[in-house]
Amino acid sequence: MMLSSRRFTKKRISLLFAYSLSALLMIWLSYLLPSLLPGDFVTAMYSTSEDVTLTAAQESELRAYYSQDTGFAKYLIKLIRLDWGNSYAFLTPVSELFFDALPWTLLLLVSANILAALTGFIAGVEAAFRRNSRFERSLVSCGTIMEGLPEICTGVILLAVFSLYLGWFPAAGAETAYAELSFQEWLLDVGHHLTLPLASLVIAYFPGNFLLTRTSMIMVISQPYIKTAQAKGLSGLRIRYAHAARNALLPLVTRFGLRLAFTVTGAFVVERIHAYPGLGTLLFNAIRLRDLPVIQAIVLISSIMVLAMIMLLELVYASLDPRVQDAYQR
Amino acid sequence: MHINAKKKMLRDPWLLTGGILFFFFATASIFGSAICPHDPSAMEFTPLSSPCAVHPLGVNDCGQDILAGLICAVRNTVLFGLTCAAVSLCIGVLIGLTAGWFGGIIDMLFMRLADVLLAVPAIMVLILISALFQPPPLTLAVILALLIWPTISKAIRAQTLIVRESPHVRAAVQMGAGNSYIIFRHLLPELFPLYLIGFSGKCRMAMFMEASLAFMGLIDPGRKSLGMMIHYALKYYYLDVWWNWLLPPVLCLSLLIMTVTFIVISLEKMLDPRLRENFGESAV
Repeated sequence: MMLSSRRFTKKRISLLFAYSLSALLMIWLSYLLPSLLPGDFVTAMYSTSEDVTLTAAQESELRAYYSQDTGFAKYLIKLIRLDWGNSYAFLTPVSELFFDALPWTLLLLVSANILAALTGFIAGVEAAFRRNSRFERSLVSCGTIMEGLPEICTGVILLAVFSLYLGWFPAAGAETAYAELSFQEWLLDVGHHLTLPLASLVIAYFPGNFLLTRTSMIMVISQPYIKTAQAKGLSGLRIRYAHAARNALLPLVTRFGLRLAFTVTGAFVVERIHAYPGLGTLLFNAIRLRDLPVIQAIVLISSIMVLAMIMLLELVYASLDPRVQDAYQR
Repeated sequence: MHINAKKKMLRDPWLLTGGILFFFFATASIFGSAICPHDPSAMEFTPLSSPCAVHPLGVNDCGQDILAGLICAVRNTVLFGLTCAAVSLCIGVLIGLTAGWFGGIIDMLFMRLADVLLAVPAIMVLILISALFQPPPLTLAVILALLIWPTISKAIRAQTLIVRESPHVRAAVQMGAGNSYIIFRHLLPELFPLYLIGFSGKCRMAMFMEASLAFMGLIDPGRKSLGMMIHYALKYYYLDVWWNWLLPPVLCLSLLIMTVTFIVISLEKMLDPRLRENFGESAV
């Protein structure tokens, strides 16, 4: 026991080390890669335009304005002080754009993850207890098909049907612009705008949660203590949720944490389809305009957030279930 | 045991569906351009014209035949997925076997490297690289492969640790077999099922990422791809291009991802030892 816990600590430390190292790797990449760039913003901006012709002096002036000649240490310090430079396209600080978009992304992703985890969990538990019934089989089939549906496709289809064809939901944005609304009306309005992107994400995340819960439940059900609980004459609901499901919860919690960690990256495409003003749309527009500081900041900060989430998960994980200290591999 | 698994495989409806779809896509990407008479990149037709006998799916905004583009896009996506999966499988298998067989410092080094790579968000690196350098898509596939091999190699390593203790491998060592002989003659073929799972899993991931990157406009616009078709068609939604321009790539992409998903899920069910143990056990 002593030995295994020491081994576990060692393993955890090495994992934490790996995460820190990869965070550093990402920061270094985001510092290094742009400087290797052959073309730059000035060329990208003006080479395609026919109305603007720059003289050599003007061009070098622009270049000097936009160049980022700093050492790596300076880059790190600026990063920590939230000084992420100015957007080329909007001329506002990148951090401002970032923090304007972040709440919308968080709202979308946290609610999508919670909804998908809840529904997936309940469906998984119920399916596992009705093994080999028609209910289970059709649910598993649905889950498998949904697992094969990429977010791009669900997003586009939902947008086409419910927003553009039926007109039930708005096609873009997170709130009605310039509308004078009371707080309650505003909440409803936000919910209305949230529905479609949320649905796309829940459909994307549900099957993974469902299939995972079902598998771990099936493993739990075959344990003797479930038979004991049945023999005691406990109600089905009680057995399912108080006895069995609790022990099948762990993989789902892990997945939930990992999913939450990848949320920032996960919704780029869906946000773009529904023109939801989160980080995804910000990144998309930045890519279109070759707005380098913005791309750099979003990529970097969201990957650091991912790594921080995983590290946090790693730290709290052992307290969730001491049995599986070693099982957490990823 | 072996025959039993094969029989079970043939009866699995998911694997069957996946196989049929796979066959369909393979045929379409190999022979598709022979059937469709248009050049996918030729801009010579009336832009935005509706479907007719000559253009079964109509013409896009640049005056290109949509069906030809679709066939080309499917082929590109499949090629991207296969390239990435093949490269990451090769790296993953080699490193997994080496780490598992030799152990010690080699194992430690490789596995720590794998941990670091596992933590790096691959899509972010891809976004950064393709936004900055716009490398050719197949280079992108290889870069992606360099980032995602660790899961394969971890599974291979774990299984190698089990197989290396088995009697026939020990016997081979006793008889003086060299390291490379054991790795290539014993371990490599024995772990075959894991390769199938790893390969199809990575293929799915790569196709998904290719579509997302193309949709975001990060892959060369001159190259046909499903993500980009969706992206452009979405701009013209008000022209009722739903069923001839937007839906076909959406459908193709879903079916492609489904094909691989079905294969992955049924292979895992069949071959993953942790899941196999619970096969046939009755529920409460």
